[in-house]
Amino acid sequence: MNRRNFANLSLKTGIVAAVASVVPGLATLKGRTRASAMRTVEPGDRLVFALGQNAGQPVTAGSFVQNEAVLAFPEGKAENHDNLVVVCKLNPALLEPPTVVEQGAGGVVAYSAICTHLGCTVRFSEEPMDMAPFPHLHCPCHAALFDPHKGAAVLGGPAPRSLPQLPVRLNEKGEVIVAAAFTAPVGVA
Amino acid sequence: MNITGWFEERLALERFRAKYLGKPFPVHPTFFLGEIALFCFVLLVMTGFYLTLFYEPSIENVAGEGGNVPAAYASTLLIDSHPLGTLIRRVHHWSAHLMIASLVLHVLRVFFTAAYRKPRELNWVLGLALLGGTIGASFAGYLLPYDQFSVTATAIGYGIARSAPWVGGPLADFMFAGPFPSPSTVPRFYGYHVVFAPLLLSALIGAHLLIVMKQKHTELPDARAAEPRDERVITGIPLWPAQTVLMVVLFLMVVAAATGLSAFLPVHPSAYFGPPQPVTPEVKPDWYLMWVYGALKLIPGTLSFRLFGATIGSEAIGAMLVPGLIGAAILLVPWLDRTPSSLHYAEDPLKSPLRLAIGLGGLALFLALSLAGFSGELNLSIPVLWIIVIAAPVAVGWSAYTLTRRHLTTSLPESRRTP
Repeated sequence: MNRRNFANLSLKTGIVAAVASVVPGLATLKGRTRASAMRTVEPGDRLVFALGQNAGQPVTAGSFVQNEAVLAFPEGKAENHDNLVVVCKLNPALLEPPTVVEQGAGGVVAYSAICTHLGCTVRFSEEPMDMAPFPHLHCPCHAALFDPHKGAAVLGGPAPRSLPQLPVRLNEKGEVIVAAAFTAPVGVA
Repeated sequence: MNITGWFEERLALERFRAKYLGKPFPVHPTFFLGEIALFCFVLLVMTGFYLTLFYEPSIENVAGEGGNVPAAYASTLLIDSHPLGTLIRRVHHWSAHLMIASLVLHVLRVFFTAAYRKPRELNWVLGLALLGGTIGASFAGYLLPYDQFSVTATAIGYGIARSAPWVGGPLADFMFAGPFPSPSTVPRFYGYHVVFAPLLLSALIGAHLLIVMKQKHTELPDARAAEPRDERVITGIPLWPAQTVLMVVLFLMVVAAATGLSAFLPVHPSAYFGPPQPVTPEVKPDWYLMWVYGALKLIPGTLSFRLFGATIGSEAIGAMLVPGLIGAAILLVPWLDRTPSSLHYAEDPLKSPLRLAIGLGGLALFLALSLAGFSGELNLSIPVLWIIVIAAPVAVGWSAYTLTRRHLTTSLPESRRTP
């Protein structure tokens, strides 16, 4: 091998090695997440109001009347935005599969409030709309519609899948308690 | 010896004057659009300097109005608390909008005068990179006040990044420094907005202008009708003093426009929007992204397909595929246009019915998609909007084509009419 070939080979090897050495360094760009923001909801957690004057107080069956809903977090886990749920009180007779209905819940159902389209917070609406002539969930961002009586199935709009349900039950004090984990992954796919 | 002589002996000013200060600039009102965008950029950097003196790029809570609020939000309120701060923040905001508006008009001007043809394809690509970089800088800057609106808009952007097939999750977490909202996102976006974007834009602007100087600006079509001349020479006003005066006047007009708007029209009222809450307000993007918003509304949620193991859902179709295809079509214009180059002369837009029709049809498409974003307010159903989005560009394009052809055949003398 003459000097030119050696110099060429060293140069190419050097460049490849330099570029390759950067790759592990890319992991430094990942960014921090607070430990408190990683805590996921678990069965047994108590749901508390997410905002308003009752923020932080437990949600009870008596907090709201039929065809109303509130935004809630599992107690102590508000830092993880994925834990945000909308707790609705609906007519128990109108609930249909695939809605998970717990015994004695009295028409109280909870769904993830993170729209499965692009992550905005959905809203509960009692006012009938064209495609939803009954209380329904809709997203203010791109007008996705969900039916809370049928497992938050998609009624219209651009959402690709239904909102995951968080099965809840009532304890002896009437507080809303998480009965099981989310039925599907939360948020944008 | 006088001052000028002192500099002349050291910097060879006379050679500089002879070579550069006499360079000709063709004059037409539409040739100012690029300069207006440049002056807006200058204004953005100047007002941005001031804002960096106060802004705190952190979302840790600090004691503020109404309890604990993120530090970034509190610092934005601090800027707004003084009239000078409010004015400068507004000028910053309005200059951004003026910059994007003038860039769009500039792209349209270059398109309709076919100034993208050989040898200017490279500058066309650089220019579109500038437009993309400007919108990217604007997106990063939008998060910084960290109020309800900012967080919602950025969360939607995060959702769009996540929806990218195969690489969505890692890509989004890489760009946003963790699952949004993460405490690392604001500092990183601050770096994007204040360091990366200005450096990138400055470099691209420099390259863009150097190439214009090297290739010379296109001349007006009238210049061609003059006596046959040396093709290496173009007609225009000299850089000094005429063009310089024009540019100074134009700069002052841009400052006047931005300041005038700022004096009377408030922007992005952070205090009114309030600090971020779990509830999502009804947000709409700024006007230059309304077309993507409309596309997202129109693509039904059921539309999704699998490709090589990844699901491409309605979000990816509406926010990446459709804009990507439109962007690619615009990018490839110099290569889709098969006409041989005119090299020196801007073409009369009416000379090419097809190009005029495509340009106006494309513009109609953007407007129709933006209209779809207002489906709720206009009470228009999705199927009706689909019809508008397809019919409007076709109708506009077709009428532009027919009217221009008729104009051409009737206005040209017999001997020069195309069959």
